[in-house]
Amino acid sequence: MFDLEDWLTLLRDWRYFAEGLGQTVKASGLALLLALGIGVVVGVLSVAPWRPVRGLTRVYVEFFQNTPLVVHAFFLYYGLPHLGISLPVLAVGVLALGVYTGAYISEVIRAGIQSIHRGQLEAAYSQGFTYLQAMRYIILPQAFRVVMPPLTNQMVNLIKNSAVLAMIAGDELMYRADGWSSYNFLYRQAYTAVALLYLCLTLPLATVARRLEQRLLGRESREVPL
Amino acid sequence: MIRFEAVNKYFGNLHVLKDINLTIGAGEKVVVIGPSGSGKSTLIRCINQLERVSSGRIWVNGVEVTAPGVPLHKVRQEIGMVFQHFHLYPHKTVLENITLAPIKVKGIPRDEAEEIAMYYLRRVGLAAKAHAYPSQLSGGQQQRVAIARALAMKPKVMLFDEPTSALDPEMIGEVLDVMVDVARDGMTMVVVTHEMGFARQVADRVVFMDEGRILEEAPPDQFFDNPREERARAFLSKILKH
Amino acid sequence: MRGWVRSVVAGVLALGVAVLAGCGSAAEPASGGEGGGSGEQPAQVSKLEEIKRRGYLIVGVKADVPGFGYLNPETNMYEGYEIDLAKKIAEEIFKVPGQVKFEPVTAKTRIGLLQSGQIDMIIATVTVTEQRKQEVDFSPVYYTDGIQLLVKKDSGITGLKDLDGKTIGVAQGATTRARLEEKAKELGVTPKFAEFPDYPSILAALQAGRVDAFSVDGAILKGYQMQDPSTVILPEKYSEEPYAIATRQGDDDLRDLVAQVITRMQESGELQKLQEKWGLTGQ
Repeated sequence: MFDLEDWLTLLRDWRYFAEGLGQTVKASGLALLLALGIGVVVGVLSVAPWRPVRGLTRVYVEFFQNTPLVVHAFFLYYGLPHLGISLPVLAVGVLALGVYTGAYISEVIRAGIQSIHRGQLEAAYSQGFTYLQAMRYIILPQAFRVVMPPLTNQMVNLIKNSAVLAMIAGDELMYRADGWSSYNFLYRQAYTAVALLYLCLTLPLATVARRLEQRLLGRESREVPL
Repeated sequence: MIRFEAVNKYFGNLHVLKDINLTIGAGEKVVVIGPSGSGKSTLIRCINQLERVSSGRIWVNGVEVTAPGVPLHKVRQEIGMVFQHFHLYPHKTVLENITLAPIKVKGIPRDEAEEIAMYYLRRVGLAAKAHAYPSQLSGGQQQRVAIARALAMKPKVMLFDEPTSALDPEMIGEVLDVMVDVARDGMTMVVVTHEMGFARQVADRVVFMDEGRILEEAPPDQFFDNPREERARAFLSKILKH
Repeated sequence: MRGWVRSVVAGVLALGVAVLAGCGSAAEPASGGEGGGSGEQPAQVSKLEEIKRRGYLIVGVKADVPGFGYLNPETNMYEGYEIDLAKKIAEEIFKVPGQVKFEPVTAKTRIGLLQSGQIDMIIATVTVTEQRKQEVDFSPVYYTDGIQLLVKKDSGITGLKDLDGKTIGVAQGATTRARLEEKAKELGVTPKFAEFPDYPSILAALQAGRVDAFSVDGAILKGYQMQDPSTVILPEKYSEEPYAIATRQGDDDLRDLVAQVITRMQESGELQKLQEKWGLTGQ
């Protein structure tokens, strides 16, 4: 299955793909920061002792987990300008990806918090920590160890989902591949190359996730013995 | 110092505290005993509001902790608590376990907090373990660190919720010794325990609970030698047989 | 080169069939032909023969380009210049009208569908380029269009020269971008480009102010200009876009038949008449 000439055409245009890869990294990186920020805040609030706040986090999570990412992206890209708000396409991408993935990450964080023994929170309370202080100094540091593997999986998902930006002229890897391949009629080459490039980004992350998981399983529980 | 006034507590339909009235003076040591499920733990957890009451009022150090809008995190800084299962912070060293709250909650400088921590670690006999992690300590050692952690906040009251129940028998003594030492300092203490020897030695008063009610309050000698209540007699005969 | 690959695949398939069939039927020629759909097994029939056996021609057409290939939502029928061409070719093959099936394609899907044999040919505003000639066979040109710009009436834009630093929306994979870049260079301006998977998306982007101009071949723009009367097509043309019918490499008999039909219609003036019928002349 090797068509040397066509692959050479691809290699000749490597710069075009490299630029797309750069944009994918940029958009994913910024979106990841946003998603982590949202995820931690919403995750912490979703188990907070304040019912209305918990309700709001539920609405956020259910809305973004149960509606397609491409709808959010299209709304921001095509819809918002009609309300007078025209965000640059990179901002649209970062916002859509970040807010969407943030919903998933907040659920991961919530599960992590809930996996920590309730006694930890009570011990913190008994010493005079407020809820947010207890989260920050006592619960979250412990929860993070537990959630690293699923968190890394969400990072991988975010990178893969960034391909949605191709549909709104996001100028990232998938977009470049779409344009290049249909211009040159070389689909097999373009999408093979793109798949490999995505793997270069995601595989290291997935490997890290697996290692962390093994380490977590290997380590004796540090929770209070009982 | 601590006052319960007509306190009731329900878990759903379960009535776990029934019309509790109790006053504990400054410096007093009160041991709460009773069969399991009698509401002892719930009672002690109401003092620092880890459990909210269903009705009635509680004052601690002159503050009505059951009033709405009370800044509980402030109130709790003056109420130390020791739990059955220690609940040390597993990701922190022994020293950090003790200094964390003084630094973050009270705003004490790190050096000073560490000095205080080392003082209490010496008192519980674990200065050498300052840089160990909780998982590297025995149960008895962990509980002694937990006591040091509570004391380092310089509380006015110490609550002990079955502090030796989760320990192997050979470790119970070392923890009780530390508690006796704390008592000698004049600390106000409320202790839920099955250790009758400790109660006799330290308590000013024994409170006997059954089915959510306080059935009898008496000095330990009087209570152990001549309990008034039939149910208290039955309970004592059961546990003293062992 | 592609044919070579396919031969290898076909050979492997044939070998597999032979092994499965066992010794008893070793004398039989490989029988995977009809179902496998993979090109050139030794006993395989020609493309034209395959179409005749099937009883109808399958043509990849546009569904969203009024005047060329358009699925009329009122009649639910395909109509346009390219649809008429497809009907002519089918009639040439079967000698009776109506033996044709239309498969809607986009710039992105059309080549894949052709290569895999799911459609017999593409008549869908395909511009001939040298690179593309290596991948498919082209018929003689049946229409020459030119790239134009669709802009909002109130934008004040009168041509490519006004688009320095502005964004032009084009279709993904279309030749439009490369042609405009050349022209822009000559004019000394550097517009930005945004590529979209389909034409309605570009119109939406224009309406949302995401792009300042929508550029594609003039004939295609016409349909979109009619959809949004607040827009206008600028008269200037920036390229020659020769449209031709694409067939799969190796389907030589089909390619030759299509070439014959187009050449004959060109000479007889029939092409011209069809273009007039669909309002594609006088530009």
